[in-house]
Amino acid sequence: MLRKIIDTVDKPSQSTAKVAVLNTAEKRSDEWSLLLIAVGETRDRQAFAKLFKHFAPLLKSFSEASRHQGWYPGLSEDLVQEVMIKVWQKAAGYNAEKASATTWIYTVARNCRIDMLRRKSNTQHLPLENEDYWHEPDEETPVTLLRQKRNGDKIQESLAKLPKEQDEILRKVYLEGKSHAEASQELGLPLGTVKSRVRLALQKMQILVSPEFQEELPHE
Amino acid sequence: MSNQINFHPDRSMLVEFSAGTLETALTICVSAHLHFCDQCRSELLSLDQLGSQLMSDAKPSDIDESLLDTVMAKIDEAELAQVNSKGSARVPVNEKPSSFPFSVNKLIESTEHSATWSRLNSSLDIARLKTGQDKFEVALHRLCAGGKAPKHDHQGIEYTVVLKGSLSDERSVYSEGDFLVRQPGDIHQPMGGQNSECICLSALSAPIKLTSPLGFLMKPWLQIRPM
Ligand SMILES: [Zn+2]
Repeated sequence: MLRKIIDTVDKPSQSTAKVAVLNTAEKRSDEWSLLLIAVGETRDRQAFAKLFKHFAPLLKSFSEASRHQGWYPGLSEDLVQEVMIKVWQKAAGYNAEKASATTWIYTVARNCRIDMLRRKSNTQHLPLENEDYWHEPDEETPVTLLRQKRNGDKIQESLAKLPKEQDEILRKVYLEGKSHAEASQELGLPLGTVKSRVRLALQKMQILVSPEFQEELPHE
Repeated sequence: MSNQINFHPDRSMLVEFSAGTLETALTICVSAHLHFCDQCRSELLSLDQLGSQLMSDAKPSDIDESLLDTVMAKIDEAELAQVNSKGSARVPVNEKPSSFPFSVNKLIESTEHSATWSRLNSSLDIARLKTGQDKFEVALHRLCAGGKAPKHDHQGIEYTVVLKGSLSDERSVYSEGDFLVRQPGDIHQPMGGQNSECICLSALSAPIKLTSPLGFLMKPWLQIRPM
């Protein structure tokens, strides 16, 4: 099946812009991204089923890890459904140059999770959906596919080697959805310690590329 | 965007943005900054990669066999509904590249009766934006070229992103995309750049106190009013 998709993608007759991009030296060749492209371009249901089989259990686990206020277990299955429906509906807009399928699906899931929580806890009408805040300007992305790929590999590799307390905090922040302040309360650590643990972890993974950034610090 | 940006949200804010735990009002500000800032966008991408890696590393949960069918059925239903109401189906058109961040434009549009300017003094206008949260007042401020805002100090914290033009205060000059934080107790008097008007997005957490002699005249205007 994958073979078939790769064939379709490589066929010159399917020469849409995205396919042309994939034929360049910087190919995004991971299985999930090719499947997602197939869903976007040809509404390929088999490809979607494969994505579902891989991602639905991960999404459910992601959602069950949530310790947001107002979250309850029944929401987990709803989230899986909502995310996978969005994946189908938005696949045509997936740009393989900007992110891998896994990263793209993570952002869809994160935004859905926030929107579901807001809908539950907020009686006011919310003018924007969370994904509106992640809207990118239409311009060439400065990050090359190659660099992204290297980043991804580096993150995967160094994540496995992080000291336990840094790993713990990243999971609290990303999976449980705790703000830094909440994490500091739960762990009984000063907020500054939480922030510096996160920062150390990010430096190790070389995610912070601009340590010289000027931030607007409190003026004393 | 090509201009040099000197001030950025601190990294822990960007982490919370990527993890989806940042408050709504601050999410709006960071989102506006990202529109202008390549560097922060590129770090955000790495942070999102980290999030997706953490998601992939977790132990997968069992999924009910029938869930795929349920999802496919909902997808079909939604597509059918769309076909049936074809006349009214609106294709989201990406308006001509505008110099404002997408999220800000959308907030301007969706604020009831669309956002309107009201005058604070001869050189400063404000337009409050409806954002569906009540911790911060989110608003646009427009300062005419060379205009001075009233001198004020803050009881709350104020985040500002420059959207157009430039402004300066006692500390520095800020131009498009710059992200400023003013802490409680800071006193400042921003001034618009000499050559063109300056428009900023700001999120303000509590009433600000005016310190200039005639400041009391402004007071009613500067009470925060989240919407
Ligand atoms: Zn920045």
